[in-house]
Amino acid sequence: MSVMNTTVPSAEQILGPTPGQILRRKVFGHRGIVIGGGIFLFIVLMALLAPWLAPYDPYHQDLVARLAPPVWHEKGTWDHILGTDQVGRDYLSRLIYGARISLLIGIMAALISGIIGTVMGVAAGYFGGKVDLVVTFLITCRLSLPVILVSLAVVAIVGGSLEMVILVLGLLLWDRYAVVMRASTQQIRSLDYVAAAQAAGCSTWYILAREILPNVMNQLIVVATLEFAHAVLLEAALSFLGLGVQPPLPSWGLMISEGRNYILFDPWLIAIPGSALFMMLLAVNLLGDGVRDVTVPENRA
Amino acid sequence: MLVYTAKRILLAILVSLTVSALVFSLLYLSGDPATALAGERASQADIMAIRAAYGFDQPVYVQYFKWLAGAVQGEFGESVYFRLPVIDLILERLPVTMTLGVCAMIFALALSIPLGVLAAMYPNSLIDRAALLLAVVGQAMPSFWFALMLIVLFAYWVPILPASGSDSWQHFVLPTIVLGYYATPAFMRLTRTGLLDVLSSDYVRTARAKGLRPAKVLFKHALRNAIIPVVSLAAVQFGFMLTGSIIIETVFALHGAGFLAWESISRSDFPTVQAVLLLFSWFYIILTFLADLLNAWLNPRIRVA
Amino acid sequence: MTKRTTRRVALRGLAMAVALGATTWIATPALAGKADDTLNIAWDRELPNIDVYFNNSREGILVNRMVWDTLIYRDPNTGEFKGLLAESFEIVNDTTFEFKLRKGVKFHNGDPFSAKDVVATVDFLLTPDTGKLAQQTIGWIKGAEALDDYTVRIYANNPTPLATLYLAGDIPIYPADHYAKVGPGGMGESPVGTGPYKVTKVVPGKEIVFEANADYFDGSPKGKPAIGTVHQRTIPDVNTQIVELTSGKLDWIWKVPADQAEKLATLPSLNVISAGTMRIGYLQFDAAGRSGENPFQDVRVRKAVSHAIDRQAIVDNIVRGASQVIDSACYPEQFGCTSDVVKYDYDVDKAKALLAEAGYPDGFRTEIYAYRNREYLEPMLGFLQQVGIETDLRYGKYAATRDAIRSNNVPFAFMTWGSGSVPDVDAITPVFFGGGPDDLAQDPEVQAALQKGGSTVDEAVRLEAYQTALGKIAAEAYWLPLWTYNTNYAMSQELDWTPTADEIPRFFFAKWK
Repeated sequence: MSVMNTTVPSAEQILGPTPGQILRRKVFGHRGIVIGGGIFLFIVLMALLAPWLAPYDPYHQDLVARLAPPVWHEKGTWDHILGTDQVGRDYLSRLIYGARISLLIGIMAALISGIIGTVMGVAAGYFGGKVDLVVTFLITCRLSLPVILVSLAVVAIVGGSLEMVILVLGLLLWDRYAVVMRASTQQIRSLDYVAAAQAAGCSTWYILAREILPNVMNQLIVVATLEFAHAVLLEAALSFLGLGVQPPLPSWGLMISEGRNYILFDPWLIAIPGSALFMMLLAVNLLGDGVRDVTVPENRA
Repeated sequence: MLVYTAKRILLAILVSLTVSALVFSLLYLSGDPATALAGERASQADIMAIRAAYGFDQPVYVQYFKWLAGAVQGEFGESVYFRLPVIDLILERLPVTMTLGVCAMIFALALSIPLGVLAAMYPNSLIDRAALLLAVVGQAMPSFWFALMLIVLFAYWVPILPASGSDSWQHFVLPTIVLGYYATPAFMRLTRTGLLDVLSSDYVRTARAKGLRPAKVLFKHALRNAIIPVVSLAAVQFGFMLTGSIIIETVFALHGAGFLAWESISRSDFPTVQAVLLLFSWFYIILTFLADLLNAWLNPRIRVA
Repeated sequence: MTKRTTRRVALRGLAMAVALGATTWIATPALAGKADDTLNIAWDRELPNIDVYFNNSREGILVNRMVWDTLIYRDPNTGEFKGLLAESFEIVNDTTFEFKLRKGVKFHNGDPFSAKDVVATVDFLLTPDTGKLAQQTIGWIKGAEALDDYTVRIYANNPTPLATLYLAGDIPIYPADHYAKVGPGGMGESPVGTGPYKVTKVVPGKEIVFEANADYFDGSPKGKPAIGTVHQRTIPDVNTQIVELTSGKLDWIWKVPADQAEKLATLPSLNVISAGTMRIGYLQFDAAGRSGENPFQDVRVRKAVSHAIDRQAIVDNIVRGASQVIDSACYPEQFGCTSDVVKYDYDVDKAKALLAEAGYPDGFRTEIYAYRNREYLEPMLGFLQQVGIETDLRYGKYAATRDAIRSNNVPFAFMTWGSGSVPDVDAITPVFFGGGPDDLAQDPEVQAALQKGGSTVDEAVRLEAYQTALGKIAAEAYWLPLWTYNTNYAMSQELDWTPTADEIPRFFFAKWK
């Protein structure tokens, strides 16, 4: 057993100290959560309300009006507040619609990998023995495969598209969930009330759903925020190498990578989506950190 | 310790075998590289001839076992793109990636450990928050974006550093900063929480109670214990860095193994991609193996099952 | 106690080893430019092998012309043929070429050049299964024969109109003894030719250093090189290239995107030239249904697409430079390329009407394959969206994309073709309409006409045949020919160098101002 225990980073290495009791009342007093949550909510609203917020059709191109500068630039106008891109599409509209794609990638990838990782981790932690052995072995194998290289290779083979990117990232990013869930489940399983539930004859499913899952939820949320950020960053990297989301879909990662050719002379083309992506990831990280802080009080003692 | 080591070696071998099979089958799906080899003006007959010449027309398992047998002996076949032994290509480029990895690791540790220590010594202070902010910011920037920004700043607006190449130490400054920065948050967090734990432990309190100087308590007793997990994380992170270098090598035109892997993927250079993927995996496996041994040695509790 | 000490020592040792590793990498940075007579150039791709018979890229052709010589030389500006390794040549009949070789020429390794090198090179090219490329440019050869030490005959299988062009470009002569010894691998690592530059250093994919060949023979139309050293580096990212160019660490780059080229042109230290090239872009439809049932089998859909895309607007606003819209499936200045074909102007209403007529009043969804120029592709996708055609882009590298076409997976593709800089329709249209693996039209009438044009040297017959073929291609809209390409070169003001229309930079003509 101990052999297996040490081949992967432990939950502590990723999350800091093990969770203490849940302190929900701290949430609204926590600056990170309020700021992060605020920004994130704003972006989600932007994505949901895109058709009403966007001043133009994000796909409508006008080659003559291409590369118009944003309003604060000396040549900027209020027609296009954030200017236009390399084929004359309104940058603000694309940014607003792009929030949808980027959120979709982050959420779906975090969700898919979350399901895989949680199932594996909880199973390993709860059942132990051979199940644990197999899961830990799988985690070790997965960790020894370099994520970027593998996702590049896969996307290069099957072709880049939104669905493919989500799927590939979702299938690759489950390791952290599995590690953390396994450790937390092990911890909770040894607690008295689980033993009591078992003694009372509750079914395994009932225990997993009612006793284990609620108690690992906080950890799950923290990992989910990390993996959300991870997925969005990886999508941007894939787009940078030409293998991410394909045009004309507006994803922030794609906008950054298309803007990079203008970094020297028209830098706003990369700065605007770059800042948007940065704000979103910052918000998500602050949220994750906040949840961690609130649930692990001694960390901020 | 001996039993532990033996078990650990067995596991490492099992993992490498599984990974090798995965790597092979993954790339087997990618179609064959004959067209890539043949180029724009080649005819179908050219392509068929190349296919046969390289053995791409044999059954999968035959190709796999041939490949694995070679790989174990450090023989990865010939790059279909360069027509040179893959191992030569990799050996030629590995030093660049290694140098980058080592420099980035040193940079990351040099930045994060002092920050982590300061943050732990003065929790919730301004410096703690600044360190936290630095970590959070680092996690929120795409690495290529950060890299391009540094190029624009230090090679274009204030041209004091070269933007590409690997000929001198100056060439490694910017890539090191980018790559190292991404490992910083994890180290810093670990140092901070580890140190906080140790500082609140009984023997540090005892040491303090005995009237030892705070600095001595910190460095002699607390830090040494807090640093152990950092060492094992460093091994894991170094493995991650090697693959993270793909994008950084592309931006800075560093001709390292990561860049070789990416270019080989895009031109369907089978043998090369397989070799780099496998080597990176092995590298990670060996590093974590060593880290585990080191951990077990430093912390005897692990050894007892 | 002792155990703890050993641990401490071990940790310290580890730290020292890591520190040492970091400091071992110290060298001096290279100087650049006119000051040390070194021309620093960069391009974005890794060359597979310098041996030209194993390397088909444009950069490879560039290297080929620097390091090796062909028997004859074609002046890139006038099109006139001159002797190079041959002092003179004679077309004995339709299939026989006779060359009087130059005496006293030496390879870079000192081997003298003679007829046996020519024969050995041709023999090598005719050996099957060597993995060499470009059957098109060498497949026509039947054999070579040395009449004496300095007279060689090369025989063609059939009358080959492009034989002299291939001989002047794609068939450099290798040193017989040396090549027999080292083979393609050795040739790639340390190339030996007769050319104006010799290669003194190769790091595969990373850099190549060329030194002027001081013993280059007099009377070569390539002339003696003026610049001592040419140092090539591979830099994949165009921004990085531009930064290095502006900071003086590079003297010459090419394929600069139009927007950046425009900005670079405003910098006083740089000189930016846009030159037309023989490369053309086109949209290829799977008219024959090789990828299965698809909308493009209907000629009305193909015509609708042709009307839907405003090629002129894309050329004016995005491609720019020396580019022009084309209507025929060839480069306008190639022999046999006629522009007297059906033209499709930009007309959204007509496109929509055609689509409705074909049964797609609301458009349809299709895959489109492409491998380069996303900046041109995106506006095209935008135009297609306007008439209701939604696209799933499959963007890959060249080889993967062409492989997909050949294996019947592609309904619709944006491709380009450079004709290998051969100024004749035979180097482009038959490749895509001659019934080969890239032929998605499979039109027997076109195939027959192209076959006729490619198997005779009678110019009138050829012109007529190509008119038939190109006319049918346009009328059926098998392709939507897009525009001719241009290449933007950006270089240091100190460099005196002009591009040629064949898109092959010749640094042996470059000098410092």
